[in-house]
Amino acid sequence: MPARGTLVTATSDLEGVLAALPRARHRETSAYPIEGRFPSVALRPESPDGVARVLAAARDARAAVVPQGARTALTLGRPVSRYDVALDTTGLHRIVEYEPADMTVTVEAGVTLHALQARLAEEGQYLSVDPPPGDEVTIGGLLATARAGAWRGLLPGVRDLVLGITVATPEGTLVSSGGRVVKNVTGYDLHRLHTGALGSLGVIVSASFKVAPLPEATAMLALRCPDIQLAERAAFELRDRRLPLRALSLLDASTATTVGVETRAPATTVLAAFEGVPAVVARAERESRDVARRMRAAIEAVPPFTWSALRRRAALAGSEEQTVLVRLGVPPSRVASTLAAVGSGRLEAWAHVAAGCVYVRGASLTAATLLALQADAHAAGGFLQVEHAPAELRDIGDAGDLELTRTLKATFDPEGVLNPGRWGDDA
Amino acid sequence: MGAPRTHEVARGTLPAMSTSQPTLAVLVDELTRALGKSSVLARPEELIAYEYDATIERARPDIVVFPASTDDVATVLRLARKHGVPVVPRGSGTGLAGGAVPVQGGVLCVLTRMNRILEIDVRNRTATIEPGVINLQLQEAVATHGLTYAPDPSSQRVCTIGGNVATNAGGPHTLVHGSTVNHVLGMRVVLPDGRATFLGSRVPDAPGLDLRGLFVGSEGTLGIATEIVVRLVPRAEAVRTLLAIFASIEDASNAVTRVIASGVIPVALEMLDREIIRAVQHSRDVGYPEDAGAVLLVEVEGLRETVEQQSAQVIEALRAAGALDLRIASEAAERERLWEGRKSAIGAIGALAPNFYLLDGVVPRTRLPEVMRGVEELSARYGFRCGNVFHAGDGNLHPNVMFDSMEPGATERVLALGAEILRLCIEAGGAITGEHGVGLEKRSYMEWMFGADDLEAMSRIRLAFDEAGLFNPCKVLPSGHGCASAHSAELTHHLATPGVYV
Repeated sequence: MPARGTLVTATSDLEGVLAALPRARHRETSAYPIEGRFPSVALRPESPDGVARVLAAARDARAAVVPQGARTALTLGRPVSRYDVALDTTGLHRIVEYEPADMTVTVEAGVTLHALQARLAEEGQYLSVDPPPGDEVTIGGLLATARAGAWRGLLPGVRDLVLGITVATPEGTLVSSGGRVVKNVTGYDLHRLHTGALGSLGVIVSASFKVAPLPEATAMLALRCPDIQLAERAAFELRDRRLPLRALSLLDASTATTVGVETRAPATTVLAAFEGVPAVVARAERESRDVARRMRAAIEAVPPFTWSALRRRAALAGSEEQTVLVRLGVPPSRVASTLAAVGSGRLEAWAHVAAGCVYVRGASLTAATLLALQADAHAAGGFLQVEHAPAELRDIGDAGDLELTRTLKATFDPEGVLNPGRWGDDA
Repeated sequence: MGAPRTHEVARGTLPAMSTSQPTLAVLVDELTRALGKSSVLARPEELIAYEYDATIERARPDIVVFPASTDDVATVLRLARKHGVPVVPRGSGTGLAGGAVPVQGGVLCVLTRMNRILEIDVRNRTATIEPGVINLQLQEAVATHGLTYAPDPSSQRVCTIGGNVATNAGGPHTLVHGSTVNHVLGMRVVLPDGRATFLGSRVPDAPGLDLRGLFVGSEGTLGIATEIVVRLVPRAEAVRTLLAIFASIEDASNAVTRVIASGVIPVALEMLDREIIRAVQHSRDVGYPEDAGAVLLVEVEGLRETVEQQSAQVIEALRAAGALDLRIASEAAERERLWEGRKSAIGAIGALAPNFYLLDGVVPRTRLPEVMRGVEELSARYGFRCGNVFHAGDGNLHPNVMFDSMEPGATERVLALGAEILRLCIEAGGAITGEHGVGLEKRSYMEWMFGADDLEAMSRIRLAFDEAGLFNPCKVLPSGHGCASAHSAELTHHLATPGVYV
């Protein structure tokens, strides 16, 4: 988190500040590097209107803006082609409205997930998401990246929980869609379009969510299975018993060791987390032991640290620039074969079974390997997303229908103010 | 701060009001050659059946086509586009907002022949289906595998999944499971210009813009889904249904908040008021006390242990909220009996008055007591009887205003009452539609919820998908040239027929 003192806070002379873009000094912007580049100016507006004013001024100055919150996912998508203004959203830090009995909350984009969860927990509630790398992410970042964690597929994801949104546009307006009621089909769901749009169509300034009661009880278990086949069988058996899972993951030996479960290849670890009323969680633990016995697996309780460590593996620190991290989406039945295809060399691989989400991480991932993994994923009806990699590998990732994407980008941001190039749109 | 705003709403809805006969004749000929004679209707007597949906909004299409494949749909859209003729998609025609009514004529693209379940993948808990598959048929087909498709609109015996996708359909059991958008993983769609593409994937969170999430609920204005991958969920180990009787709708509304505050989110939480209870009992004895002010139907499901604990919590909350009587059922047949009154409610109300107007508003559930009181007062002031049967758990109200359209001025007054009730919902922090859609019916109310900039953004979405403005014109968004005459027709009749579902 950059110190506030290093920032130019948006003020009434903003136009002047932006007019001076080329001469702005690095000293003020050194906290906002993106892949070795620095912006000409860094701004931290403290209101949604302030964000809109920054965007309008940037458009007039033909400047490119990269919105950023906790700065944990700035390598998602293609590299930005221009970077003039760092727009720090952490100045938008209010929880606007929270009605526990309605189980809805409206927050500004710069609020951290940690701060939101802390407030919700006071009322016995939470937002059911666990994005990487941790709760330090901002709500704006959570939405813009739509990154999911181990809970996805078992609990609703952020796309399912967002009820409405307000975004600032390059025209300097604030645009809203949806609302703050839990069921609503009024108008086009722009809030879903902005979720996962990597800040390319507007800057999210606030959003409303549906929240849930905190579970009464939880249990977290590791089943160390002798090999991947038995691990896969164990995982599907746990799932098919309709136990109240909130996470069901498969970890290769190197990943398991990294997160504190000691194993050696070819052992594969099933990590399972359960939640619900105490009697159900107790039953889930009993049934898990039964499954473990039949799969010749050692079973043990794991601390919450194991999960937070796994969550952190799905992101990279600044010092790991050469590390490649990809996310594959495959049908759950293909998760184990995908892990097996990755092999147990110098790579780490793990998967969240219910969402068919497989992560592969390591410095030795080459373009050829990525293309092979992608081809297999496509054959199974899935996809590959490059989460972190040197620029030359980032063209490999899938990005949906590019024609519609470019049309929408040109419609909402014709001057290319917002994150130009993220979708290969600034060629 | 930039150029003056251009309101491009107009450009998006500028098509010709009607298509010339020679053009239509050529188009019929081309469509017949491409799709076959049995897939194209163009004689006036054949078209009559396709001029309305479950509203009584009417507009006759010039041509009705029944594509059998994605290629057929693409061909229809390309040919219609070439001749500048509007296209409107339609499923079973159970829509409650006029979304499938071809207000500018043109081609009505009926998807009911594309009704194959292409794949049920038990291991991956997905099904791949064509848009004409009936909701209940899908549920029945997957039930044998211990799975279910969660969205269950009350029209599920008739409505198509394609229509559910268009309207982002809900239903009683979406309280826990969420609406259709939470259950669609990916779709093959044909865009208005005839290009086919795939939105989403077979698993969640595909990279790129979430065009899947934008498309679901776009009310058939952005394209036609021709193949849909849906998520299935396991059927619960145990289910328990509770019926609670209350002296007043206000008590029952407070009970809704108490149940949720107890930390339990039931899978369904439905309310019927006195007017509906009497109507139901009048048509068939389902065991509801006729002097009750309201009944709540609450369903909890999960593992046996969950159901045990949660039903105890629900019972305690219902008693604390003043429930006069409680009935509890765990066996399928008994549960079915408790649901019977709910499911037959709309049919029963049809017998009470020549016409009724079905509304669909949403409010935060804590505002239910005051909003329900407001609905009651407004109905009394306008001099109409009004029955309420609705999804109380998500604050989704469905007032049914009873009236006789033959009585001079009654229709206008009913519409005015409906507008006031929806205003009440917005003032309570809610929305003008929770599951039926905006369609034709509520376009003019959009400005109550959204500002000019919001609507401008929505109209840009539409333009990005349909630059020619020929795809399901005059729906969802307010204003627009060429829609003026449709607009006046729109204000005359929106009266639900006894065939509606809620």
